[in-house]
Amino acid sequence: MNQMTDLTKTDSSPMLRVSDLTHRVSLETDTLTILQGVSLEINRGESVAIVGRSGSGKTTLLGLLAGLDTPTEGTVELDGSVISKLSEDERAKLRARRVGFVFQSFQLLPALTALENVMLPLELAGMEAPEQRARELLERVGLGERLNHTPRQLSGGEQQRVAIARAFASDPAILFADEPTGNLDNRTGQAVSDLLMDLNREQGTTLVMVTHDEHLAERCGRQLHIEAGMLTEPDLAGGPAH
Amino acid sequence: MGASKKLMSVSRDWRERDVRVVLVALIIAVATVATIALFASQLQRTLVSSASSFLAADRQLEAENGRPIPLEWLEDAQSRGLETGRMVEFSTMVFGESGFQLVSVKAVSDEYPLRGEIEIQPGAEEPRQIVSQGPGPGQVWVNPRLLRLLELDIGDTLEVGNLKLEITRLLIREPDGGFRLSSLAPRVMMHVDDVAATGVVQEGSRVEYVYLFAGDEGVLDDYYQWLEPQLEPSHEWEGVRDGETFSRSLERAERFLLLGGSLAVLLAAVAVAVASRQYALSQRDTVALLKTLGLSSRGIGELYLRRLSLWGIVGVLGGLAVALPLFWLLVRLLSDVLERPVDFYLDPAALTPALLTALVSLFAFAYPPIRRLRNVPAMRVLRSQPGETGREAIPDILLAVVAVFGLVWMYAGELMLVAALLGGLVLLLGVLGLLGWGMVALLRRVKGGGNSWRLALVGLYRHRRASMAQMAVFAMTLMLAATLVLVRSSLLDDWQAQLPDDAPNHFLINIAPDAVDDVEEFWATRGAPLETLYPMVRGRLTELNGEPVKEAVSKDERVGALNRELNLTWMAELPEDNRIVDGQWFGPGETEGVSVEAELAEKLGLQLGDRLTFTIGSSKVTEPVTSIRTVQWDSMKPNFYMAFPPDGGLTDMPATWITAFYLNTDNKLALNDFSRQFPTVSVLEIDHIIDRIQQIVQQVTQAIEAILALILAAALVVMAAVVSATLRDRQREGALLRTLGGQQSLLARSTMLEFALLGFFAGTLGVIAAEGAVYALQAGMFEGTFRWHWQVMLPVPLIAAVLLALFGRWQLRPVLSVSPMLLLRRLE
Repeated sequence: MNQMTDLTKTDSSPMLRVSDLTHRVSLETDTLTILQGVSLEINRGESVAIVGRSGSGKTTLLGLLAGLDTPTEGTVELDGSVISKLSEDERAKLRARRVGFVFQSFQLLPALTALENVMLPLELAGMEAPEQRARELLERVGLGERLNHTPRQLSGGEQQRVAIARAFASDPAILFADEPTGNLDNRTGQAVSDLLMDLNREQGTTLVMVTHDEHLAERCGRQLHIEAGMLTEPDLAGGPAH
Repeated sequence: MGASKKLMSVSRDWRERDVRVVLVALIIAVATVATIALFASQLQRTLVSSASSFLAADRQLEAENGRPIPLEWLEDAQSRGLETGRMVEFSTMVFGESGFQLVSVKAVSDEYPLRGEIEIQPGAEEPRQIVSQGPGPGQVWVNPRLLRLLELDIGDTLEVGNLKLEITRLLIREPDGGFRLSSLAPRVMMHVDDVAATGVVQEGSRVEYVYLFAGDEGVLDDYYQWLEPQLEPSHEWEGVRDGETFSRSLERAERFLLLGGSLAVLLAAVAVAVASRQYALSQRDTVALLKTLGLSSRGIGELYLRRLSLWGIVGVLGGLAVALPLFWLLVRLLSDVLERPVDFYLDPAALTPALLTALVSLFAFAYPPIRRLRNVPAMRVLRSQPGETGREAIPDILLAVVAVFGLVWMYAGELMLVAALLGGLVLLLGVLGLLGWGMVALLRRVKGGGNSWRLALVGLYRHRRASMAQMAVFAMTLMLAATLVLVRSSLLDDWQAQLPDDAPNHFLINIAPDAVDDVEEFWATRGAPLETLYPMVRGRLTELNGEPVKEAVSKDERVGALNRELNLTWMAELPEDNRIVDGQWFGPGETEGVSVEAELAEKLGLQLGDRLTFTIGSSKVTEPVTSIRTVQWDSMKPNFYMAFPPDGGLTDMPATWITAFYLNTDNKLALNDFSRQFPTVSVLEIDHIIDRIQQIVQQVTQAIEAILALILAAALVVMAAVVSATLRDRQREGALLRTLGGQQSLLARSTMLEFALLGFFAGTLGVIAAEGAVYALQAGMFEGTFRWHWQVMLPVPLIAAVLLALFGRWQLRPVLSVSPMLLLRRLE
């Protein structure tokens, strides 16, 4: 895969640029500030872990970065597009082409087989030969024998591997992962995170991950700590993964 | 198959429980509506054709003014493709070798009868035959009684006026034998072309020209539209629905079918609405994921619209696949009941309501919650978002109410019915809301009882929103079903009450005052006691408050009773089945006044105190209206428009006596002795008419029961849909309870108890509401009297409780039979 080199060659702007991001939600009686003045940049090919306590605002941040939601104030620029200015459908289009996701609860469609789950984003993005690409990826994640199993017939680790295959299927420029090992035991979690990091490296994808798992966070090139909605940039500045 | 295609495939959908419920509800909706519409249309056709034979045609036009109708009226009918026929009816003396007799002649054209058949006997000892044409020219068919009276035989000659006719057949039964007291003399049937040669019918003679019409209902209606402005007051257009004896049964049956159809529509709508809302809720995660993967809201909209259309196709095809065999079975059943083959009549127009029902169900009930899926935020994949509050469903509910209104209106065509049903439902929902909330709140305070009892109450309370919704739907469903059962049984009771097995089936008319005692004795000794005897005086109503009655009454009102002689009577006691609706019945010793039948009084606009003048022979009698009463015309007993008190206005008028009695078939021969002993008394045999009525009642009853079964099936599906709606939660809870150490038996008992309570409350509310609805319907549509139905009110809540308890247990069986571990994983 040399797409990464192509991209980095042609475009040296950051993959993600966030400035002064603030997010508030209105409750019945008052307004709750979830994120306050977050600014950051993530370069292409970088891997970044967002860490923080429960309720610190990291999942909200992930949702805003991925364009699943729009911020109250501030801008998010994803791969050159200011997503807060895009309509919901334009954001969906952007996601289909450039973004992949891995979730804590796998989020596979229960009625589709492993193969079909992986094919789905390919078809939505209108790519050619979706089945072949899906097979390759499933084989890559070690599930070549289980193409036609439905999620219910797979273990949690296997389901997350299908989800990872799906996330890389459409050759995303950036991958968002929300607690990818949160629902797995240590050993399975270890195997899944190995797979995620390996694939990420192979494909040259930018990775943004929310996690509680310190080991996993340490494997990312950079860690962003978030506390009470504010970014507390750690002492270690960004750098490539070691 | 591509994944996105598969996302929309029905076979994939079928694996999802909620979709199964939507599809099954849709299939049942289409099947029920299609079956009812098809069968109603078939029944209508069969009933009309069997009832038409009572007119010997689909319509009759009677000219009671002694003049034939203009020729072009008939020609116009023929040019429209209608079949026509003619009859002339008159009374005259006929002569045989040994004497003469007043007879009632019916002269018929070759086409007679257009509907129905004539039953004849070639000779006294020969078997009866069914024929479809009357006597030819030169021939005459006669009632067997006439042969006895004139001591004649087959082959002898009968003189009618100037014409000698050969007696070729005994006339046993004519299709339009009717039941008119004006035709008491023995019947003689001849060819209409012979009438002129008899010389009996002259200008101004009392003669009735009757014209028969048969053909397509629409053409008949068009023809009548054209004809009506030209009719004179003495012309009477009669269709099956206008006739007195059968029309009521027919109308009630038809209304019942319509009611059933409407309820089916309502039930279907509820099932589809409930299941699709549930489906939409279950799809929110999928939609959020699809959006995250890059599908636009438009794409989401299209995806679900396409899916909905597929459901529609499956619903319609599936529904028809169920409806057609069912319809075939029903028609077979109908043939069995009628003991004759019934032609299949697959009315394509009857499928329209089914298609429309599918469309409206999908787009008014299923689509709105599914449409809102477009608004599900993609963010939901990361964090569960607040679900729907129910407030956004208010426009859906409004749309659904309008749609139901339109659907039921289209289906039943009766605004009154629609308004009654919807009014009842809205009221019910309001009352239910209050009652249900109160009950749930009360339940929360209930203390004590065993574990399972407490768990059941906690369950009801914890699911109070779902419990309320379920209770509302159950109560509504039970109300609709109970309404139907109640209306059915009161319909059948009414019919049974009208025609008990020993209902009078013979009339004795024209009994001379001095022969009354002998006649009574004659039948008493033969075990066939007579009903009450009434004196009968024939007279015309000629003046109203001193004004000629035809001027006093608006011309638009064609009142048949004004055109012919009425049978007047006097009586001391009000007949059992009559009811006074205004004024007072005659007190003892009272001699003034007249009591008028209610419908006639309304048509004439009569008030208490109006003075009526009757012309009887050459004398006139004037009396004030002192009471207005209803009469059971279909009771098969003598009934009178006008009743005077004993020693009142009719005293000294020439009267004969009339009565009715029940004679079983084995005793029929006694009639011959009777005719010999009392030659002047006319016997009117109406046993075959009663047989026919009973047959129709049976037919209609079967149809009603078949449709009732269909509707109850629909009701069950609604319940299943609603219970399934909370199934997932319940299963999850059950699994959790078991994981935490709850025993299977405890879980089973508490679930059954919870559902039993739900069923009991819903049943109680539903039955109370049903009583209200039945009261409204009885008062407004079925003309019955209202009473409480304890026999339904007590068992329904209990049955509902038991059924729901079993149903709940059944639905929970995966929780009870599988290890909690496996279950929790499945439910993830």
